Order: sequence, then structure tokens, then C-alpha cells
Amino acid sequence: MKALLFLIKKSLKNLIKGIVKKPSALIGFIFVFAFVVFIIVASFLMPSGLIRTASPELYNGIVVAVFAVLYFSYLTIGMEKGSTYFRMADVNLVFTAPIEPRSILVYGFIKQIGGIVVLLFLTFCQIPNLRNNFEFQPYGVWMILAAVVLFALAYPLISMLLYSWISKDNKRKKLVYYILYAFAAIIAVITLLDLIRTKSIGATLENVFNSPIARYFPIIGWTGSIAAAAVSGVTTEVYVGAVGMVLLITGVSAAIYRMSLDYYEDVLEGTEYVEAVLKAKRSGNTMTFNANIKNKTSNRLFGKGAQAIFSKQLLEYRKTSHFFLFDISSVIVILSAIFYRLVTPAENMSTSATLFSILGFASYMHLLIQGQGRLNAEIEKPFIYLIPDSPAKKLFYATMPEHIKNLFDGLLLFTLSGILFKADIISVLACIIGYVAIGSVYVYTGVLTRRMFGSVQSRNLIFFVKIIFSIIFVLPGIIAAVILGLIAESWLLAICGLGGWSLVFGMTFFVFSSGILNNIEAAG
Amino acid sequence: MLKVKKLTKSFKKVLAVNNVSFEVNPGEIAVLLGPNGAGKSTTIKCIAGLLRFDGRITIEGKDNKSIEAKKVFGYVPETPALYETLTVWEHIEFIARAYNLEDWEETARALLIRFEMDDKKDKLGKELSKGMQQKVSLICALIINPAMIMFDEPMIGLDPKAIKELKDIFVELKNSGCAILISTHIIDSIEGYWDKVLIMNKGEIAADLTRNELIARGESLEEIFFSVTGKEEIGQ
Repeated sequence: MKALLFLIKKSLKNLIKGIVKKPSALIGFIFVFAFVVFIIVASFLMPSGLIRTASPELYNGIVVAVFAVLYFSYLTIGMEKGSTYFRMADVNLVFTAPIEPRSILVYGFIKQIGGIVVLLFLTFCQIPNLRNNFEFQPYGVWMILAAVVLFALAYPLISMLLYSWISKDNKRKKLVYYILYAFAAIIAVITLLDLIRTKSIGATLENVFNSPIARYFPIIGWTGSIAAAAVSGVTTEVYVGAVGMVLLITGVSAAIYRMSLDYYEDVLEGTEYVEAVLKAKRSGNTMTFNANIKNKTSNRLFGKGAQAIFSKQLLEYRKTSHFFLFDISSVIVILSAIFYRLVTPAENMSTSATLFSILGFASYMHLLIQGQGRLNAEIEKPFIYLIPDSPAKKLFYATMPEHIKNLFDGLLLFTLSGILFKADIISVLACIIGYVAIGSVYVYTGVLTRRMFGSVQSRNLIFFVKIIFSIIFVLPGIIAAVILGLIAESWLLAICGLGGWSLVFGMTFFVFSSGILNNIEAAG
Repeated sequence: MLKVKKLTKSFKKVLAVNNVSFEVNPGEIAVLLGPNGAGKSTTIKCIAGLLRFDGRITIEGKDNKSIEAKKVFGYVPETPALYETLTVWEHIEFIARAYNLEDWEETARALLIRFEMDDKKDKLGKELSKGMQQKVSLICALIINPAMIMFDEPMIGLDPKAIKELKDIFVELKNSGCAILISTHIIDSIEGYWDKVLIMNKGEIAADLTRNELIARGESLEEIFFSVTGKEEIGQ
């Protein structure tokens, strides 16, 4: 274990030294640190129930449902590839060393703490939104954090134990999958039947996921109940959940620690997969990673000069996607924004105000889940620098698919919202343009961040800086638009104001970031 | 020495290695050859203790997954993977700690000089080229002074000087009584160094010959490879 502690200590020390040595990385980390502190302070200090005070039952229903989805998706992925805390360096240097597999497992757990930090950050980002809608207990934030930590510790353990068991026999794998999917199907049917009866998502969430069965349900209900205490206070369910989770984590750890001493094979496939994903991310090939690439499509290349980059990207999209630009991020943004509006209805709100709130929430989700786009893959290869055209034109065409995707997502989201909430066509069009304009800020903030920090720094750092920059420039626009909407009593004006604000910043960032294509060094 | 007895490994319904047995004796250089998909990598991973398997693998008479066996076993993987935030020297220090080595610093310095890595000892893993990472992998395997060492495609990515040094190291290890197993595709790279050849095909050992046996058959290594793997038919 001493050697493994040496490994952790040295890795951390060198990471900090590396940050301090590079001023650009240091500035980035200071930004990230300041932002994280701000988010944490805001999570604890901001008043809760500011916009409205929705019922604790609704909150309980939401958190239990969220944990049900999280456990289901993480467990199915974990069982397919084997959850892993390890990297290939561990496989080559630690697994083959004369170190007890038990100690290596403990080392893996310590490494997992890094993953928890990211999960906690994402959770902190959601807390202000929750506080706006629900009356929090004084210790509420702590309860949410406790639930997230327990979830982050429990799911890899459960998937590792399940994976070790099912990897020995295909029949076991099928059995576990049948159980999981049957369970998911039963919940989906119950939810749907209740939804038909109540015709209200909020009421169904309360009925299905805040029922005693759901709250006491092992693992999902236990974790959910701990998070539910943030609003509902400490109830019997919370004690049951806490004891259940502690027993589960210690029990599964003990089972793996005592029984599964030969787990290297179980984590090997997962580790190779993680390594391949990271390699694809580094080279910007996330779009083509693991995708079935068609050899031929009906699409042809077109255009000359920089325009050829755009037509090449369209061809690549056609070859790798069945639905062109429509992907999982489109589904998440569209569904979550409409879902948000449906579960948090506000009385006396005009249709334009409803669309404005959907625009705000969709842009927020878009910010958190936006992909890297094709530009990162382009700037890793020499062709884009060699094409005889101006850097600005090349950047414009290379980022064009991102704008088309945003237009496509915006069109779907706001047409659907317009129909659902009976909005006028002008507000719908204004929201679509606003969504594309906000998206352009995200796109060029990403390019600018890459230009400032290069590709050598940590991907997570660049991701965080990009998010912070985007927030810094979009948030004042949203606040100004809300003030404008309230003063002028016109939410259409607020939507147009936000769109105009974002367009100005999007264009400004485009001008500043176009130099990235001057040469390969400028791209880091 | 390394003993592999009735090694069998399946991935779900695919039989990757079928009842494979061979030995590598102290002071012997054995070469594991075979076309793609022959089962070499699976065999290597089983020996390195990374996979579960049926059969038995022992190193110096000890089960290959035991701590005792691992203490005397060096492994150079096909694709080097280093810790991004550890320096070259810290990688070696970690190995020295993990293997409980005493007075390893002088040997480490000598190996760094030999592979022209002495000026790179403070470089981080992520700052090294693939060839340099391969050199660090080699040094980490050699620093433990192994009784059995396994190389998986060791020449890939190395510069000519490092290849020459590595070939010299093969001879030095052999002379010191170390059992050496080299898996490679490049037959020319080990010509003149090997004592025993193990040719795998379709998950089985298709040929297990010593150098003298091959000479007695009047065939070259390349000829025997193509004849036992049936690849000459493709050429015809």
C-alpha cells in the first residue's frame, strides 16, 4: 500500500506543480476555483423558495425519479463495459506488481474521489435552481451532497460486483438485464397509467415516486430519501435510507474485498474502453468514436475554398448519424426544457414569459451538455491550416454545423413549446433566433478558450473555463432581459433583447477567436 | 522459469487459447510468433496475470498470480501506458517501492544512460513521445532484476540505438540466467537471438521448436512460420 500512496501523493504534487508553473493554467484554475466558491456560497446562502414554493412532495418525487434514472443508466453501462477506476498505466504497472489486489482496490476507491468532485460540482450547479423553486431546510444542501456522494460510491461498487458475477456466464448476464429492464418497464407503465389519470407530470411524480414503496425501495429509494430531506426534513425514510446505504456500501465492498480477488479481467475491458474514449476526446474524434460509419451516402461534396470544410463536415455527419444533427444532446435539451416548464407551472404567466423561461432553461442545459463539435477534430489535422482561404472564413464554415444544429434543436423545441403553450408565432421565431444566438456565444467561447489555453492543459479545465466564460457573458444578458421584460411588460422584447445581446457577444468572440486558424501553434 | 500447462481461455463463446502448454527455461530466449488473432495477446495477458484462465501458469514454481511470482516477473506491454503526472524517475521509484527493491538508484541511473533518457528523468509521463514511453516501460521491467521477463512487441517505436541496446540486454539477461519470452510480428528483429520458437495459430501452439531442431529440419524461421500457419497458400 505504501507504493500506491507514493503514487497518489506524487501525482497530486506534480499536478499542482504543473498548474503553478503555467500561468495560463493557473489563471484558468483561479477562475474555476472562484466560480466553484461562488456556486458553493450561493448554494448555501441564497434564499430559497424565491420564485415559488413548490410542494415538498413534488421535490421528493423529482429526486427519487432522478436517482432511478441515474442508477438504471449507470448500472446498465457499467455492466456492459465493467466499471473501472483504473487507467492503462495501472494495468501495466500496478496489476503486474507484487501488490495485494485488495490494496489495489482501495487505491482505486481513493482515485474515485476525483470523480465525486466533478459530480459534486454538477450538483452544486443545480442547487440554486432547486432553491428558487423549493423551501430548503437549513441543512438541505448537505443532504443533497451526502446523497450524491453515496450514489457515487455505490454505483461503481454495485456494477463491479454485478459485472464480476455476470461475466462468468452469459445466462447470468441475460437474467440481470431482464430483471433491470423488466423493472424499468414496470415503473414506466405505472408512471404512464398515472399520467393518463392525472394529466399532470407533477402530480404523477408525487404519486409514483413519492409513494412509501418508492421512498423505502432499496438503493434508489434510500438515496432519494436522503436527498429528499433537503426539503422534507429528516423523516424515518431518511434514517432507513442512510442505514441502508451505509450497509450496502460496506457489504458490497466487503464482498468484493473478500471474494473477488481475481477482478483484474473484470476491469480490463472497461479500462481499455475508457482509455480509447479519452484518446478519442483528446483528438476531438468523439463523434466518430464507436460509430458505425457508412462508406457511401447520397451526399456530395460541394463548394470551394473554406466552404469545402463545411461540405466535408456535412458529409461526415451523414456518414455517422442516422438522424443527421439530431442526437442525444438534442433529446436532453428539448425534453428537459419542456419537462421543466410542465413540472413548475406558474400561474398568470403570459405565453411569451413561458417561452422566455424555456429559452433560459434550454440554454442552461445546452451549456452543460454541449459537445466539442467538429472543430476540435479539424484543428488536430493539418488540412484546415493549409486551405488557401482567410482564417475567419475557415472558422465560419468549420463552425457552421454547430449553428445549424442549434437552429435545428431550437426549431424543434420552440415549435413544440409553441403548440403546447399556445404561443404566438413571433415569440416562437424570436426564441429560435435567440437560442441560436446564445449557442453562438458557447461555440466561440469554446474556440477562444482553446486559443487562450491550448490543447495541452487539462480537458476538464478547458471545459470549466468555457462554461464560466459563457456564464459570465450570457448571464448579464438574461438578467438585463428579465428587467427589460418586467419594466416594458413585454416578454417578447425580453427574448429579442437576450437574442441581440448574445449575437453581439457571439460575433465579438468570433472576431477574437478566428486567429486560431493562423497556424497550428495558435491552436495549441 | 516459466511453465504454461494446458492454458485455455474463452471469451464468451469464442475459444481464444486452446490447451496451450510450453516452457521457457532459465537462460533461454523464447519467441512467441503467430498471425493476427492467433491468441498471442491473450496468452501474454494470462501470463501477466491480467486474465482468468483454465490450466496452470507458474513462474519460478509459483502460481503466476501470487505475490512471490510477481516479485521476479518483468513485463513490457505492447502499448506503453505511463502516469501522466509522474516523472520518469518517479515511475522507476514507484516500481522500486512496489517491488521492495534496495539500492536501485545506481541501476536506474545506468539504465537511463543506456537508453539515453538521463536528461529526461524529470519529464512527466505525458511529455514523453511514444518511443520514450516504451523506454520507460523497458526500464521499469528491467529495474526489478527479473528471473522471468516478457516482452510484447518490444521494438515498436524505439530508435536504432535503443533497439541495439535492447538486443544487447536480451543477451545479458540470457547470460544471467533469466527466462525471456518475446512476442513479436517482426521475425527479422529477433533472428540470431532466439533459442526456442513457439508459433501460435488459431489459439493453439502449432510449432514448438528449438534452434537446433530448426537447423536439423533445414528450414528458416520464416519458412517454418508460413508452413505451420498455412499462410503460404495465400501467396500461391
